[in-house]
Amino acid sequence: MTVHELDEFLAPLRPQYADPRSLILPALKHVQEETGWLPPDAMATVAEATGFSQAYVESIATFYDRLYVEPVGRRVINVCVTLSCMLRGSDEIFEHIADYLGLDGEGTTDDGMFTLHKVQCIGACDRAPCLQVDAGEQIGPLEPADATCLIDDLRDEPAPARYCR
Amino acid sequence: MADQGQSPDIVTLTINGRQVTAPKGTMLVDAAKAVDIEIPIFCYEPRLGPPVGACRMCLVEVEGMRGLQTACSTPVADDMVVQTESEVAKDAQDGVLELLLANHPLDCPVCDKGGECPLQDRTFRFGPGETRTLEPKLHFPKPLDLSPLVALDRERCIACYRCVRFSQDVAEDGQLTFQERGDHTEIATFSGDPYEGRFTGNTIDLCPVGALTSNPYRFVSRPWDIKNTPSVCAGCSMGCNLEVTERDNEVKRLTGRPDPNMAVEEGWICDRGRWGYPALRSADRIPHAVLVDQVGRRGVLLERALAEVAGMLINRDLRIGVLLGDPVTVETGFLAQELAERVGDGRAMVRRTGIPGHGLGPLRALPGAQMDELDAADVVLVVGGDPASQQPVAELRIRKARRHGARVSMVGPRPSALDDACEVLRTTPGHLVDAIDVMRDRLLGSSRAVVLWDEADLAAEPAAAAALAELVAATPGARALEMCADVSGPGLRALGIPAAGGLLQAIEAGHIDVLVTIACDPTAGPEGTRWATALEGVGTIIEMGAYVSGLTDRATVVLPLLTPLEEEGVLVSMAGRAQRLRPGARECEGAAAAWELLVALTHRLGRAVPDRTPSQAFSRLAQRHSAFAGLDYGALGTEGAVIAPVEATGADAGTAPAQPAGDGLLVVPCRPVFGDADAFRSDALEPVREPARVCLAPAEAERLGVRTDARVHVRTPHGEMVLPLEVGSRYHEGAAYLVMGDPGTAAERLLPMDGGAVRAVVGVAARQEVSA
Ligand code: SF4
Ligand code: SF4
Ligand code: FES
Ligand code: FES
Repeated sequence: MTVHELDEFLAPLRPQYADPRSLILPALKHVQEETGWLPPDAMATVAEATGFSQAYVESIATFYDRLYVEPVGRRVINVCVTLSCMLRGSDEIFEHIADYLGLDGEGTTDDGMFTLHKVQCIGACDRAPCLQVDAGEQIGPLEPADATCLIDDLRDEPAPARYCR
Repeated sequence: MADQGQSPDIVTLTINGRQVTAPKGTMLVDAAKAVDIEIPIFCYEPRLGPPVGACRMCLVEVEGMRGLQTACSTPVADDMVVQTESEVAKDAQDGVLELLLANHPLDCPVCDKGGECPLQDRTFRFGPGETRTLEPKLHFPKPLDLSPLVALDRERCIACYRCVRFSQDVAEDGQLTFQERGDHTEIATFSGDPYEGRFTGNTIDLCPVGALTSNPYRFVSRPWDIKNTPSVCAGCSMGCNLEVTERDNEVKRLTGRPDPNMAVEEGWICDRGRWGYPALRSADRIPHAVLVDQVGRRGVLLERALAEVAGMLINRDLRIGVLLGDPVTVETGFLAQELAERVGDGRAMVRRTGIPGHGLGPLRALPGAQMDELDAADVVLVVGGDPASQQPVAELRIRKARRHGARVSMVGPRPSALDDACEVLRTTPGHLVDAIDVMRDRLLGSSRAVVLWDEADLAAEPAAAAALAELVAATPGARALEMCADVSGPGLRALGIPAAGGLLQAIEAGHIDVLVTIACDPTAGPEGTRWATALEGVGTIIEMGAYVSGLTDRATVVLPLLTPLEEEGVLVSMAGRAQRLRPGARECEGAAAAWELLVALTHRLGRAVPDRTPSQAFSRLAQRHSAFAGLDYGALGTEGAVIAPVEATGADAGTAPAQPAGDGLLVVPCRPVFGDADAFRSDALEPVREPARVCLAPAEAERLGVRTDARVHVRTPHGEMVLPLEVGSRYHEGAAYLVMGDPGTAAERLLPMDGGAVRAVVGVAARQEVSA
């Protein structure tokens, strides 16, 4: 994405924020929707379009788990590992999915299809243990077997046109 | 908020049952400190700007306020009742420390900071005696090179934000930030690039733990094995105060001062100043005296060499020239004058290297400013030069002035690292005078303007110097601050020692039989080729120097000198501030301070020498030279004292040439401190050195038919040489930017001694020149 394209996207947002720093987040999200993740040159583009230093943009990008500064697969599976989910066995769910995908902990499958992440509370403690695929609905409560079914379903589903994460 | 201007109102409050008064706006932590109550802090550092309350270390109880307050960001108020040592406050402080240590590796035994670490000290005083943490701690690979000079140990970081604030808010380089979040928070640069800058080392001084350490100092010493001595940097005319760490007679480290000189450097030093010390042990250090006589050339004891020199000076048939270089102390200048008097019969003349400064008199007579006056300035005007590369810490003070609301402009021909912080009026080389005209209204409309002017640039443009002096004089409340090209200049001028032109003429006329050089090699300086030829006619050269120079092989007697980090004496900064050097170490057993050698020689010439210390010499020179009237070492204290302005004398008065000499492109001389001799002697500075080169605008390079990666042949009326070429659109057409650097090249030789403007013919270097 060029600085110019990003500028066009940001133009209607500019008057909405008193502090121009607030533009960085929508800009990063927009770029990620287009490219799937945030490579250094994408962050440099955001820096240029918003007028902040590259280092500052990167510090914001790394603050949020859902902004990816490393490449991720077509679908991102976020398993909640905060208290409620953990007490209800989310570590087992995580291990189970990891095994099923052939991953050693967090990471991306060799075919580039799935990325598995641990995340903090996704606001569905009543459905613990739960997970979220991309920016979709929280799914839970889960049994390990549900999780692997889910993966199979995802494999058959067509990938979304844009990366909504 | 020491740097935010305070109202005169006084507030009365109670801290730990004691009545305390403090000016309104004072933060609780400072009000308490004033009455010797220590509230522990980590992130609070007023030099970095307003408090951020990042570390929560300073929690105290304030009656009537809910919860605990951070003393670093809570201003005093009337009738406030504060408890810093109540059970609740102590419990909170203990708790904060326990959490700060939760992931801290506690590897103090192998940490460079151990023994001088605020985290250690505060844990002992305010923290838990034992850890309750059973869980495994977070681990990161350690250490990481944040830059070639600064190491980062992420496990030790307590996320206090100091280094980030320095980078963002003081150096304004925008490079350091926090990445990630929570216990994974770490200091980082954009995509792991090295932290680049000229001030990076200050983050080490600021870091309250061992997270940022100096690579060259890594594992070199322990705080109980070292001795720290306050002294002054002789790297440039800024005169930053610093602290010298010595162990085993070697300088192991230089740091900013824990008690900063707020009128000079404010505790910051540049990386050239900080890591220049390995120069003291470079291979070209002169280890002992050398004498050439019938026996041949051999090392001798200092005593023997001195006797030889005294023998020559006493000989009534010999005429003597003494040339003072850079840096030398005012005591050295004064004792050289006395030695010349002692020699008698007008047989000896004393001169200095550096710019004569014809035509700078009116500028120097203006009311002078100190660096801290920039903080309250409404207009800051930088005329010529480039403080960012030539007097680096001045850049930080100019940036601060801008943050405090000053309108900062910079006029001159050079691109500068300061460009992003000011309105830039890039002038055609040789046309400063037009720019001064443009600035006229701005300046006349100001009430507290500070004008920084560059000695070299204004010496080269006498018309601009006159116009600027007139303009500043006409501006009410305006003050001037000279950015000097050399370190010794202000002090030696105050002693009335003129520039070297007359000495060179005397040598050429065959009127000098013995030349004594002190810390200089004129053959590597302006018109060096002419000097080299002239010196062939001088019978005897006596070199006093710390490092081997182009004269060393020619000299009949070589006397090894101590350097400013090793000697005692006074240097006068560009703001006219006389400050004391204190010997931090003595790396070279066989060497002596120049003042000692001069006293010894005067003594041998039959004078009962009254001076046994530089302090005595200084007191005596203060009686004889009005600039230093009333001063002695006591009066200089820890902050130094500002000397009175002096009129230019003798050979320095008169007029400079109005027209540039020679043909071709106008030369814009650039003297970055990162390209000076010590920067090249110090191996630590290898990654950040500035090489000597010629810089041209792309159109100019094209016109001359030279390619970017080529080497070019440069010729001025004073000499010629082959230099690497840099092509950049930052440079003006019609000019050749001559970057000095890399002492081996001695590009200064191409410049005139009168400090006037000069032109250079630049062209493709012939093949054999390139390989040579
Ligand atoms: S590295 Fe040091 S100065 Fe920087 S945030 Fe960490 S503890 Fe503070
Ligand atoms: S600015 Fe000059 S005086 Fe200050 S530390 Fe750097 S070289 Fe030394
Ligand atoms: S803890 Fe898992 S959703 Fe809240
Ligand atoms: S010193 Fe007060 S919060 Fe850090």
